[in-house]
Amino acid sequence: MTPWVRRQQALADYTLAAMARRRVKNIGLLLIYALVIFVIASATLFSTALRHEAEIVLAEAPELIVQNLVMGRHDMISAEIIEELEAIRGVGGVTGRLWGYFYDRVNGANYTLMVPLDPKMVPPAGQALFGEALPRTRGLGWDTAPLFLSRYPGDLFRLDPAGRLSHESALVSADLILLGEEDFRAFFDLPPAVYTDIAVSIRNSREIDTIVAKAGKLLPNARLVTRDEISRTYQKLFYWREGIMVAMAGASVLAFAIFAAEKASGLSAEETREIGILKAIGWDTRDVIAMKLWEGGLISLGAFLFGTGLAYLHVFAFDAALFASVLKGWSVIYPDFRLTPMIDGVQLTALFFLTVLPYTAATIVPIWRAATADPDQVMR
Amino acid sequence: MISLHAVRKLYNEGRPSEVTALGGIDLEIARDALTVFRGPSGSGKTTLLSVISCMARPSSGRVFVDGRNVSGLPESFLTQERRRTFGFVFQRFNLIRGLTVLENVLLPAAPLGRAPRDDAERATARLEALGLGPKAHVLVEQLSGGEAQRTAIARALINDPPVLIADEPTANLDTELAMRFLDIVAGLRAEGRTVVMTSHDPRIWQAALVDRVVALRDGRLDEEQP
Amino acid sequence: MTRRSPLVFGLIGAGCALLALEAMHSKLMTPAGAARMARSAELVRRAGLTDLALFTEARFARNPALADLHTAFQDSPLSFEHFPSGTFAPRPAAGFGQGTLRFGTEEDAR
Ligand SMILES: Nc1ncnc2c1ncn2[C@@H]1O[C@H](COP(=O)(O)OP(=O)(O)OP(=O)(O)O)[C@@H](O)[C@H]1O
Ligand SMILES: [Mg+2]
Repeated sequence: MTPWVRRQQALADYTLAAMARRRVKNIGLLLIYALVIFVIASATLFSTALRHEAEIVLAEAPELIVQNLVMGRHDMISAEIIEELEAIRGVGGVTGRLWGYFYDRVNGANYTLMVPLDPKMVPPAGQALFGEALPRTRGLGWDTAPLFLSRYPGDLFRLDPAGRLSHESALVSADLILLGEEDFRAFFDLPPAVYTDIAVSIRNSREIDTIVAKAGKLLPNARLVTRDEISRTYQKLFYWREGIMVAMAGASVLAFAIFAAEKASGLSAEETREIGILKAIGWDTRDVIAMKLWEGGLISLGAFLFGTGLAYLHVFAFDAALFASVLKGWSVIYPDFRLTPMIDGVQLTALFFLTVLPYTAATIVPIWRAATADPDQVMR
Repeated sequence: MISLHAVRKLYNEGRPSEVTALGGIDLEIARDALTVFRGPSGSGKTTLLSVISCMARPSSGRVFVDGRNVSGLPESFLTQERRRTFGFVFQRFNLIRGLTVLENVLLPAAPLGRAPRDDAERATARLEALGLGPKAHVLVEQLSGGEAQRTAIARALINDPPVLIADEPTANLDTELAMRFLDIVAGLRAEGRTVVMTSHDPRIWQAALVDRVVALRDGRLDEEQP
Repeated sequence: MTRRSPLVFGLIGAGCALLALEAMHSKLMTPAGAARMARSAELVRRAGLTDLALFTEARFARNPALADLHTAFQDSPLSFEHFPSGTFAPRPAAGFGQGTLRFGTEEDAR
């Protein structure tokens, strides 16, 4: 061992011995600090994983959605528009989308009924593909149990299962009922030749802007939503929710920093005297500061490791049980999904610097004056 | 060993509350001698000790330690000098509460980066010699006055300094303990250490062991006193 | 000085090891996760989905990305079309849905 290591170890030992004198207080401090970091780290980890998944999954959404607007609100769009859109150069496929919501009086949930774009996926008449949450919340015990939907008192609409959508895609499909076009129009009493909106696929993603501009000229009243905008909405949404969590926890970090600064700046007469004694018996200003760095560093680093380590377990092993609802929202139908663990190094580093540095600084700065004062004060 | 030339020390310099604690002192302190400063309270004994031992810088004048001029050195060099040359026993002992006797004794060694086992062995041996062996793991707040003083002595010696500085070491002790202290000092002299201390206790400066008594009055050497 | 540092450094080391293990775990899980996401993405492509199934109550909620242009204040608790996903309050425990598929009393009488 080099003298440098021995010196650091001796200083750390002194700090620990000094802290051990107020054991309960210091351990309590560590735990509260770890809790604050735990909350922030959980929010960050959860939101990062969710954003990542949303980004990957929605990358396959239609490049462009064209909606009809009437008085600024969404309205059904005529099938004639499809041909007009197909005429734009660079446009791949144009398909009318049929989707709508259904409020189920039985369980208070809102389902999304939809006709899949891919014809090969469309179930036969009278049958439907159910999302993961549907059999669960309606208590359809066995795989072949039919689903009865009641649109108004006295009405029953029967759908037999053509299969169930896989559990692993629950994040996008939990509330889905995928059914055929005839069934869809019959269920919602829709006239033929209208669609909810129109999905446009664009072969070359660099042409999206020009095509949007052309479509906008062609359909001045329509609303054009690109895939990027959709994806961005979600990124923003989760950032927003994460931000609120972090802002709340950030307030506690601030409170914590204030507390630490207060604790340190109001150096008790005893502490000031102890620093004086240490200097008088041969400690250097640097020794005193290094010793205090160990104090701040050990507490904040310990809290950081403890907090983030637990946060990872909390988010990925226990599905963020403590506050998932704040981050993803509450619903009657809630997808049962497990996030793929993901650690964003940059974010963790930022968290490290945002938590460890202020606390350590808050313990060091006030020490400075006491540590640089002439040691002869303790002689009387 | 240590020489002072026209050393002055002012407190609160330039303010109305200015105090001249030392008013121009020329002094030579011999190696391997036991020097005692005496004088009435407020005469500047403690201040003189702190200037000699690099604890405080003189306002003017020069201080030489082993021929090195230390009066103009920056803080960190002063600390080096202090570490290398001086061990301190303070008027109020200044032990750190909440730590044990042994931990207190080891404190001056902590920043030096030496092998901890050697230090611990040396500290234990010194504590044994001072009759504190059984108390090594007792918290310092549970010590008697005499034990606390011996702990302070052991701490002052852990880095093996050539000079021991003691400020009013016997002020809080009864006659028997004061004599015991002198025995310890005799032992240190035998080890070849220089001892500088202050006292207004005749039992001390009349002791046969003392090589030289320096009398102070109002921050100046009092030539009339022996 | 009582040697407390080995214990404390050990604990810090254990914390670092925990983080390192977690980082390794997340690396190990990445391929499986990517495969799963690819299958979800496949479903999104084939069905033509645009949104996540996280907020399912409100018209705007299931498809926030495709909400009406002028549906203002969607996240305000006072908004006309307000559903629990928009806020920080959980949905009421009772009173959501009837629990069974049954007909009203007037219909039974008929
Ligand atoms: N930090 C200070 N600020 C202002 N004045 C001081 C300071 N320290 C000491 N003095 C003054 O300097 C003078 C010398 O003080 P010093 O402590 O050296 O006396 P002393 O001889 O050690 O006294 P005693 O025997 O009571 O310990 C005193 O008048 C004292 O009031
Ligand atoms: Mg004095």
